[in-house]
Amino acid sequence: MANLYIDNVHKSFGETHILKGIDMDIADGEFIILVGPSGCGKSTLMNCIAGLEQVTTGRVIIDDEDVTQSMPKDRDIAMVFQSYALYPNMNVWKNIAFGLEIRKLPKEEIEETVGRVADLLQIRDLLKRKPSQLSGGQRQRVAMGRALARDPKIFLFDEPLSNLDAKLRVEMRTEIKKLHQRLGTTIVYVTHDQIEAMTLANRIAVMKEGHIQQFGTPQEVYDNPANQFVAGFMGSPSMNFIRCQVVDHQGDATIAMSVDGKDFHLPIPQQEKGVRERVGQEVVLGIRPEQITDVVPQQEQASTLANVDAEIIVTEPTGADTLTLIRMNDQEVNCRVHPARAGAPGDTMTFMINMDKAVFFDLASGDRI
Amino acid sequence: MTQSPPLSEPTRAVRKVHKPSLGDRLAEQIPRLVVSPTMLIAVVFIYGFMIWTVVLSFSTSRILPRYEFIGWQNYQRLFGNERWMVALTNLGIYGVLFVVICLAIGLLLAILLDQKIRAEGFLRTVYLYPMALSFIVTGTVWKWLLNPSVGIQRFGRELGFENFRFDWLVSSDMSIYTVVIAAVWQSSGFVMALFLAGLRGVDDSIIKAAQIDGASRITVYTRIIIPSLRPVFFSAIIMLAHIAIKSFDLALALTGGGPGYSSDLPAIFMYQFSFTRGQMGVGAASAVIMLMGVMAILIPYLYSELRVKKDDR
Amino acid sequence: MTVKHSNRRYSEITGRAVLYAILIIVAIYYLIPLVIMISTSFRDMNDIRFGHLIDLPSSFSFEAWRMAWSEVQIGARRQLGLRPYFINSLLITIPAVTISVILGAVNGYVLSFWRFKGSNIFFALLLFGCFLPFQAILLPQATVLGKIGLSGTIPGLVLTHVVYGVAFTTLFYRNYYVSLPGELVKAAQLDGAGFWRIFWRIILPLSTPITVVAVIWQFTQIWNDFLFGVAFSSPQSQPVTVGLNNMVNSSTGEVRYNVDMAGAIIAALPTLAVYVIAGKYFVRGLTAGSVKG
Ligand SMILES: Nc1ncnc2c1ncn2[C@@H]1O[C@H](COP(=O)(O)OP(=O)(O)OP(=O)(O)O)[C@@H](O)[C@H]1O
Ligand SMILES: [Mg+2]
Repeated sequence: MANLYIDNVHKSFGETHILKGIDMDIADGEFIILVGPSGCGKSTLMNCIAGLEQVTTGRVIIDDEDVTQSMPKDRDIAMVFQSYALYPNMNVWKNIAFGLEIRKLPKEEIEETVGRVADLLQIRDLLKRKPSQLSGGQRQRVAMGRALARDPKIFLFDEPLSNLDAKLRVEMRTEIKKLHQRLGTTIVYVTHDQIEAMTLANRIAVMKEGHIQQFGTPQEVYDNPANQFVAGFMGSPSMNFIRCQVVDHQGDATIAMSVDGKDFHLPIPQQEKGVRERVGQEVVLGIRPEQITDVVPQQEQASTLANVDAEIIVTEPTGADTLTLIRMNDQEVNCRVHPARAGAPGDTMTFMINMDKAVFFDLASGDRI
Repeated sequence: MTQSPPLSEPTRAVRKVHKPSLGDRLAEQIPRLVVSPTMLIAVVFIYGFMIWTVVLSFSTSRILPRYEFIGWQNYQRLFGNERWMVALTNLGIYGVLFVVICLAIGLLLAILLDQKIRAEGFLRTVYLYPMALSFIVTGTVWKWLLNPSVGIQRFGRELGFENFRFDWLVSSDMSIYTVVIAAVWQSSGFVMALFLAGLRGVDDSIIKAAQIDGASRITVYTRIIIPSLRPVFFSAIIMLAHIAIKSFDLALALTGGGPGYSSDLPAIFMYQFSFTRGQMGVGAASAVIMLMGVMAILIPYLYSELRVKKDDR
Repeated sequence: MTVKHSNRRYSEITGRAVLYAILIIVAIYYLIPLVIMISTSFRDMNDIRFGHLIDLPSSFSFEAWRMAWSEVQIGARRQLGLRPYFINSLLITIPAVTISVILGAVNGYVLSFWRFKGSNIFFALLLFGCFLPFQAILLPQATVLGKIGLSGTIPGLVLTHVVYGVAFTTLFYRNYYVSLPGELVKAAQLDGAGFWRIFWRIILPLSTPITVVAVIWQFTQIWNDFLFGVAFSSPQSQPVTVGLNNMVNSSTGEVRYNVDMAGAIIAALPTLAVYVIAGKYFVRGLTAGSVKG
């Protein structure tokens, strides 16, 4: 149980700068999800927190104690490695017990802990096996088990569920959530899975090229992305970005749009004052697929709504919805349509655009306006 | 960048700064401590001694080292010495033949063995076992086989070829070639193993694709497989050249450098001048020349190896 | 159609036959010296003098072996036969192999998992040691051995073999360890294990294959060494290679080939045995030591 404060951490390997000033202030008991494209430095950051890599500059503060200079073993951190890192020469039982043995726990306690963890992760049958005799998903659970057997100040999970099948992944996700609620241990968790990120996190940190782009609650990051990168990275299918012009239409700032040769105007929500001041300039409109749907009659009156007719280019049924591709301003746009109302490619269909949650980005910098 | 307030207000006041304890700092030094004996070895016994040898080569040392310097005189004496020139020429003949023949036999055997041969394991064992022998043993055996009065020549004559001659061992002109014969016998299996490993590493699908394109088996080998073995050729040549330059025991056991000094090699020359003739300065000079020879082969090799490794990253 | 087909089969069969013929002839070429060596060692001198080089021996005795092992006068040495040399070789080889392999293992461990500033340069410098022509260090090494009082002694030879073998063992272990996942060591660190415990409990148990390679390589190299053996030994500490060479070259009067051959086999027996028992690892060592060098 501890808070974690990462203060302006830089990390370079020789000439290559990987972490370029990471600041994170994590409260005791928070569940932090770290997301970002491959190679952006997530694992490196985890290693720096654990002390497995020395930070180049900056501080790591755990439980209000500056541990930047401490050895990994003194930081009291348990970690699940992306590559599992199971000890190949030891069976599963030994793998889980190793850390406990080194910390000189009494035998009965070790027995009990290993048993408890094995039940939790459904690996009791595997305890006698060597890692080489396990499947990828089983190995991953053993790696989880090795961390969960400890009672550390902080858990670091580097993509711990990436190799599990869909069902097991959901189960394990729930287990982790329950575990966190029960233990209340601070967790930093790396994942590429959007649902994992949204469901588990107290806060999400979005990383890119060694910088934290945004650090906020899942809803904030989703609804209120700090920039075009975050907006595009979070959410699946990802947000549509449409280049368009802010124009004055009947005394009101609107977005000029052309669909299949017909021009029309989209309202700009009142709260987007910055955009309203950019009349005559080009901006990037960000709108999520679920905000462009088939026409839902009872909502039709709201001021931020607009209907357009557009030709369907491609449809992708996902089960719950059908993703429908249309063109706006000659750019492809994904819409999320009720399966029953979705037309076929080539058909023209009326879509309802809800501008209430639309966001706008500067064309050059990609920052939110 | 927006940062929403965390669940509870974090305290940034740091209670304590962990300074690494003495034990930690010691523990951090363990890796260095562990390799330090070897580091010492590298610095003193490899590089220090190399420099020392260079120093000796400019000195008046004879039976014992003496540190009066006489410039290039030892080198002049060395290259004025007919025996050294013979040794160098021999090394040229021996080195080139040894490398070329080993490569040819090794490659041929590897290709033949790669044709899904039944007793491959056994044959490989047979081709390679000489590599487990000491050069002294090899020399002893071949000395006997090549001895005209008891070995192959006599055997040939007993078979009825009255005029069969195979007396290279005792002929000043040919004795160096007997060293080649024995050395090839000992080392070609090793080259075969290198090539075989290389052949096994060639991507099967490339070969199949070429065969579908209508290439004959010979074309597949000459145009696709053998060119792809370039790195193996490279390292095999390095290894063999290195063995050749160092060759000492084989020639000593087989011919003793003779008849006369007709099959002398630089390594024998160096040993005898340094240890039995009390000409340490000249011996050191010859060692330096040998070192230069190895470097001349090695540095381009290491350079290209290291460059490849950098590119990998 | 059928004719063509059978023609093709025919040429294929002859092709295979030629292939096997070549391989077998070459195998015979490689084997003949060994066969002759063995058969000669069991013949008596009369048989050798009047029989053929390759022939069924008309005599069979262990006489030559006994002579070579414990009776033949080698140089001016008081003790007879190759036996004392053989024992010297054991006394040199066993500690030298042990020490150099242990050093190589911990060096490789550090250079793979505990890199420090300059450790790569150190490794590159050490690598050159694998290619060092020993002539370039022979004279200083002789001087130093003399200075520290180890000249002509078995410990002196052990030291020499360790010093110039450690580059190879380090190379073996390092190249093996870098192929292991580095996270293993990181995980163990978080589990609270220190430098040595990680080595003992995690890394060393994974090192069996490369240890076999390193031991075999070092054993073969040191057992078969002649240069150090002849340069740094006294008659009391000479290894078996030197003993064999002296025996072959110093026997006065009639040359006894059967004794020479028995001696050669005695000198070769340990390394040949290793090769036959663990050939796979032997080859791996050869290729690892060269290709990756
Ligand atoms: N020891 C190292 N030496 C040099 N470069 C390294 C080292 N470790 C990582 N890197 C580099 O740092 C960058 C970030 O690596 P990192 O493993 O942190 O990425 P990641 O965000 O975890 O990616 P992924 O999602 O694929 O796991 C990569 O470009 C990687 O090549
Ligand atoms: Mg990673």
